[in-house]
Amino acid sequence: MLHDRRTASFIDPQALARLAAVPLFARKPMLGNVSGKHASPHRGASVEFAEYRKYVPGDDLRRLDWRAYGRSDRFYVKEFEADTNLRCCLIFDTSGSMDFGSTGITKIEYARRIAGSLAYLAIQQGDAVGLSCVADRVVRTIPPRRTPAHLRGVFNILEHAEPKGDTKLAARLHELAETIRQRALVVIISDLFIEPAELKSAFEHLRFRKHDVAVFHLLDPLELGFTFKRPMRFLDMEGGPSIFAEPNDIADRYQAALKTYLDDIKTGVLESAIDYHRVSIDESYEQVLMRFLVGRTRSRGAR
Amino acid sequence: MTFLQPAMLAALPIIALPIIIHLINQRRFQTIRWAAMMFLLAANRMSRGYARIRQWLILLFRTLAVAGLIMAVSRPLASGWLGLAAGGRADATLILLDRSSSMWQQGQGTALTKLESGKQQLHRSLSLLQSGRWLLVDSAHNKATEIEGADSLLSLPDTSPVSASADIPALLQTAYAYVQANRPSRTEVWICSDLRQNDWNADGGRWQTIRESFQELPQGVRFHLLAYPDADPRNRSIRVTGVRRHENASGAELLLSLKVEQTTGSEETVKIPVQLEIEGARSEITVELSGGAVELKDHAVPIERVQTRGWGRVSIPADSNASDNEFFFVFDRPTPRKTILVSDDPAAVTALQLAAAIGPDPSTPCEAETLGPDQLASVPWETVSLLMWHAPLPTGEMADTIRAFAKRGGQVIFFPPTALSNDGFAGVKWTDWNEAPNAIPISTWTGDQGLLANSQSGAALPVGQLKVQRYCEIEGETTTLASLQNGAPLLARAITDERNIYFCGTTPAAKDSSLATDGVVLYVMLQRAIATGASVLGNTRQLIAGEINPATTEQWQPLSRREDVLSTDYAYQAGVYQAEEKLFAVNRSEAEDRPMVVADAPLAGLFQGLDFDRVDEKAGSSTSLIEEIWRLFLAIMMLALILEAALCIPRRPQPETITAGFPGATRRAAA
Repeated sequence: MLHDRRTASFIDPQALARLAAVPLFARKPMLGNVSGKHASPHRGASVEFAEYRKYVPGDDLRRLDWRAYGRSDRFYVKEFEADTNLRCCLIFDTSGSMDFGSTGITKIEYARRIAGSLAYLAIQQGDAVGLSCVADRVVRTIPPRRTPAHLRGVFNILEHAEPKGDTKLAARLHELAETIRQRALVVIISDLFIEPAELKSAFEHLRFRKHDVAVFHLLDPLELGFTFKRPMRFLDMEGGPSIFAEPNDIADRYQAALKTYLDDIKTGVLESAIDYHRVSIDESYEQVLMRFLVGRTRSRGAR
Repeated sequence: MTFLQPAMLAALPIIALPIIIHLINQRRFQTIRWAAMMFLLAANRMSRGYARIRQWLILLFRTLAVAGLIMAVSRPLASGWLGLAAGGRADATLILLDRSSSMWQQGQGTALTKLESGKQQLHRSLSLLQSGRWLLVDSAHNKATEIEGADSLLSLPDTSPVSASADIPALLQTAYAYVQANRPSRTEVWICSDLRQNDWNADGGRWQTIRESFQELPQGVRFHLLAYPDADPRNRSIRVTGVRRHENASGAELLLSLKVEQTTGSEETVKIPVQLEIEGARSEITVELSGGAVELKDHAVPIERVQTRGWGRVSIPADSNASDNEFFFVFDRPTPRKTILVSDDPAAVTALQLAAAIGPDPSTPCEAETLGPDQLASVPWETVSLLMWHAPLPTGEMADTIRAFAKRGGQVIFFPPTALSNDGFAGVKWTDWNEAPNAIPISTWTGDQGLLANSQSGAALPVGQLKVQRYCEIEGETTTLASLQNGAPLLARAITDERNIYFCGTTPAAKDSSLATDGVVLYVMLQRAIATGASVLGNTRQLIAGEINPATTEQWQPLSRREDVLSTDYAYQAGVYQAEEKLFAVNRSEAEDRPMVVADAPLAGLFQGLDFDRVDEKAGSSTSLIEEIWRLFLAIMMLALILEAALCIPRRPQPETITAGFPGATRRAAA
């Protein structure tokens, strides 16, 4: 699909080829435009039987089950599940904090790889992909489409996304929860550096809109370990005040704060039924995505 | 605290190094653009109490480690309670050693005496200090002797115990004389003593002079007192209070009076065996001690009739102080007591002649002869015990004769003549007669020593009953033994080496005083003077150690004494000695048996205004006053380093707690 175009820098065709072996499934019924691989909340014309329903005038006579009439002398209409495609809305955090990376790769670069790969996989299986870049505002957004040409646009936006501005993710998620049509797959790729309580509220909003929400929580190993030895002056990447700290002095309290935050996030996502993936960005993104896809395969099927 | 290498203390500012490094480190910070600011802000909001204390503690322990190292290489000396704050090298160190018999007392549970403990303590302590010169002033010789160092204290014979009392003020005067003569720049004076009142004489007038003398010295003199004030309450002492030879029809016997005392009396009656040794023949008697003292009067010990003179020794079983467990005595036939009364008015002094001629013991012949001043040439002075002079004070050749008489130990009492002259004797002379309209009583007199001392049973003489109508003022430098109510001296002693020239301000004549009518005082006074004068005439003498001129002991041969006594120390050691026909019994002074010590406050007052510190020790104590304690500082340094290391260990949460939500991380860790 991409061989005739210039390959985006964050796309690894070989990794995509390996990931393409596992389809991307939604955990909930999706509302799509066309027929696809995903369950729909409506009845349709798939081969999977759904239920019998009493005939009412106006029903298509071709759907009458004559065998059931023969057994019961009543008219029944045989209904089948509908299969549809999904709308995958990628919410891509472009706040200033995403520009951090201590292992040779920044969080935004890592996020590009995840988002780009997911977009490719979705469009490859006929699903629509939309993209919203958010920071202190919705920087850029394109609605979900399923055409391969649309993929190029998504890649372009990802490639040119600049980490800038404050993180106002909760507000933007509330906004997007309202603007994205119901029953979509919403994938959030962010470092989630906001208060867990605000985040939980946004997740609840998305769930209320019947979206299937997946979160990739990106964290740098240095942020987790805080393995500084010398006194440091920390400059806020989002323009806040700088802090001077003696690592030996503050490390234990930093770790305590980090642990509290991670525990709160974990609690929040469990209560909101979010497909949550905590990612340390020194890990291979291919493995992260493989784990994501395989996990979804196991939870597929609910309607 | 003193340091053997004080120059190393110059490196003390290095202890600021950890703080300086800390400050430099604070300035050498790195800047990083950081995303997870919310955790830093949260960490800052958390309590920083422990973290801040930890940081300070780490700095403190680092500083302590450096300080410990510097102190260790400076070789500090622990000075116990002594404030040797100045430290450094002394130019001269004087050791004033109390060798008195009370320093023989052993400590509880140890065989070491106070003197031995003091010497060892001084040896241990002073061998660590540096000094340009070391000098020993011992209480027996009272001379500043240069010694090689503190090591010599243990080996020098001049540091062995003696029976003589110490005179601490005299030792300090010797020390002062040395400092004034040699002018050392910095002087340390170490005094080792048991603080006995008789040794220190804290009420004496010399202390003020000593204090002022040392205060006026331009160089610093520091006093360190190593005190052993503890007395053993169960220590007992024995003393012979009287010995006389008595003959009767059946033979001869020795009448011995002795006293056994215990430091602290108890109601319990204790039987004490007393060993008697007379000319090598031993016997034993038992005395019952109750209350704290027992006195045995005229215990008869039969001796050979032909044994007219000899020596003996009494002793009690060993206790904590060996020096007061024995007492030596000598005996002889009573010496005839001859008194010469010189008067230009013999009728006025008949009472004097009577009082002198009648002896207290019928077996002791007494004789009193009244002469005119011009008849003195025929007097056999070598047989006279007492000279009473009731005439104008002698001059010229007559005065020289009397001075020679006094020099050899004869007693002289001057009474004011009717016609006064302007001449003086021994720096004293009479002034005009005073006649009081009413008889004047005697208000004060010296009851502890001298002619008017209390009796052996402790009762005071009835001096207060005397009345004086006429008296003559005494002019000159004297020691007053009795004074009238108006302050005029009645009996005074001229200040001479022999202390045997007295001046009585009145006469026994009825118009002058009631000395004759209330004759007890006069009789006792004269008989005491006669006895003292006679004691130097006989072939045997009881002497007090330390009060003997060492030059006179050159011919002495010991008959009974401690084995390790040097011949040069006979004047200070108890024992029986013989010189030609004479026998000398040398014993400790009576004051040595009194356990009173100088109290803390008066003692501090003695050194008021001087640089003085004191440490109380017990005999047998093995803790050194001063010892090298660099090991302690090394231990402090190591402990500080260990604590610093323990505090520096970062306190981080368990890794699995943070990485619990990272399946990838878990796998990587497992791999």
